[in-house]
Amino acid sequence: MAIAKSLSRVAAVIGIGESDYVGDHARVRAGERPHDSYGYAAIAFNKALKDAGIERDDIDGLIVGPTIAYERMGELLGINPTWGSQADAMLSVIEACMAIQTGMAEVVALVYGNDQRSAAIQYGGPEAMGGNMFLSYIYHAPWGFTSQGALYAMMFQRFMALTGCTEAQLGEVAVAQRLHASLNPHALMKKLITIEDYMASRYICEPLHLFDYCLINDGGVALIITSSDYAKRNAKKKPVLIHGVGRYDANKGATSLEPRLLDFYRPAQERCAEQVFNMAGLGPKDIDAVQIYDSFSCHVPLALEGYGYCATGDVGRFMAEEGISLKGKLPVNTGGGHLSETYMQGWNHQVEAVRQVRGEGGGRQVENCRFVHYNSDVAGKAVSIIYGS
Amino acid sequence: MANSQAVISLYDEPMWESIRAHDWKLQQCDDCSEFRYPPAANCPHCLSMDYHWKPLKGRGTILSWVIYHRQYFDNFPPPYNVVAVQLDEGPIVMSNLVGPEPEGNWVGLKVEICYGEDVAIGTVPKMRLIQQSA
Ligand SMILES: [Zn+2]
Repeated sequence: MAIAKSLSRVAAVIGIGESDYVGDHARVRAGERPHDSYGYAAIAFNKALKDAGIERDDIDGLIVGPTIAYERMGELLGINPTWGSQADAMLSVIEACMAIQTGMAEVVALVYGNDQRSAAIQYGGPEAMGGNMFLSYIYHAPWGFTSQGALYAMMFQRFMALTGCTEAQLGEVAVAQRLHASLNPHALMKKLITIEDYMASRYICEPLHLFDYCLINDGGVALIITSSDYAKRNAKKKPVLIHGVGRYDANKGATSLEPRLLDFYRPAQERCAEQVFNMAGLGPKDIDAVQIYDSFSCHVPLALEGYGYCATGDVGRFMAEEGISLKGKLPVNTGGGHLSETYMQGWNHQVEAVRQVRGEGGGRQVENCRFVHYNSDVAGKAVSIIYGS
Repeated sequence: MANSQAVISLYDEPMWESIRAHDWKLQQCDDCSEFRYPPAANCPHCLSMDYHWKPLKGRGTILSWVIYHRQYFDNFPPPYNVVAVQLDEGPIVMSNLVGPEPEGNWVGLKVEICYGEDVAIGTVPKMRLIQQSA
């Protein structure tokens, strides 16, 4: 804990970049393949460099996302770093902080690209993506149990049965995020929906509806993270400091879904919350907007309870009455998230958090936004990051 | 599309053999008595490498359920259900509830193991409701 505490305000995000989600999606839907994963990543990297106001040769650390090969990406970007790694969005940010804190690198580029739509990646069925990493994604296929959405449907069905939360209350997530997407020029799905539209939409794996599932689209994201000293001296824009990070992995019993069905990931989220809030010296009341990894809508209510934004068993009422949209008490996934903006596997949430702290949110800007809390719980791996000014 | 397949590690094969004999067995730890699922080399509870194959008593409780409306496998045309069942021995398994589906909430209902035939996999363990005495 002592070492982890020292990561607070060590590093800052000074550059962000994204590919053209809307334009590329239109081209993919027309049958084109605009770029491969490396191409999308390179587009995002170039934009992040310009946003930061630094040169490619200033980079001395490189982290690439799980969908691209580390060496090939480094080769294509022409970077020989003093330190490098491969990690998902949330762990990349934490690893960058650790590399900077230990002096392994000072200016770290985080790069991600994914051609999942144009390459027709399957997340369920005989070729289910991720089965080599998560046995639960493929082990139950003899009973037809496949696709990550079904694992969350199983989890949320029990949550509803035990707590009284309803499908219509869950629909608040899709409705709120669609409102946010309608105010975001980078978002793919901008047409507003109502709770009635949500309830009328078809089930994919009941109790989850079509609108509970994330998009599948192509794109790339990059972030430049540096020591806070370097950021003060060199960044073109106001640096966004990383005030705290947290992590706790629920691996025990994962394949038979024990952490999902018996605990709803709650112990992992509570441990992670304790770490991130202690490190930042903040609590849920200090947070102005929340970003939650939303491959499926039900991540949102589970995280709101798990991280202490509402009382245990109260999240259905909280979402419906107090509100999780820009018009409500606690804006969640202000860019539209994976459901309505773009499915960049957590990377777009980091960019949105930075934009909100910078005040670059445009029509979806949260007023006086000082702190944004990102969290994810993919397969019970609870990770948190607090960004702030 | 294609049919679904079982994951067959070194330790799964004896389990599927027992399933084909309509006598589903899991590994029970020789040191701490915990059951392992999925089958594995070591006991996640106490790390012992020692075990014996023990037939299940055949009963459990539904923890949750889903209904598929989208098709992912040739051998699973929708709609079909999947249930998560906690066996009396402790492990949680996924299965399909055969026979009449209950109305309303399925959580907490008692089930027993039965066996079905799948075109691709052969014999597969399924669950059916135990008639509750009123
Ligand atoms: Zn044992």
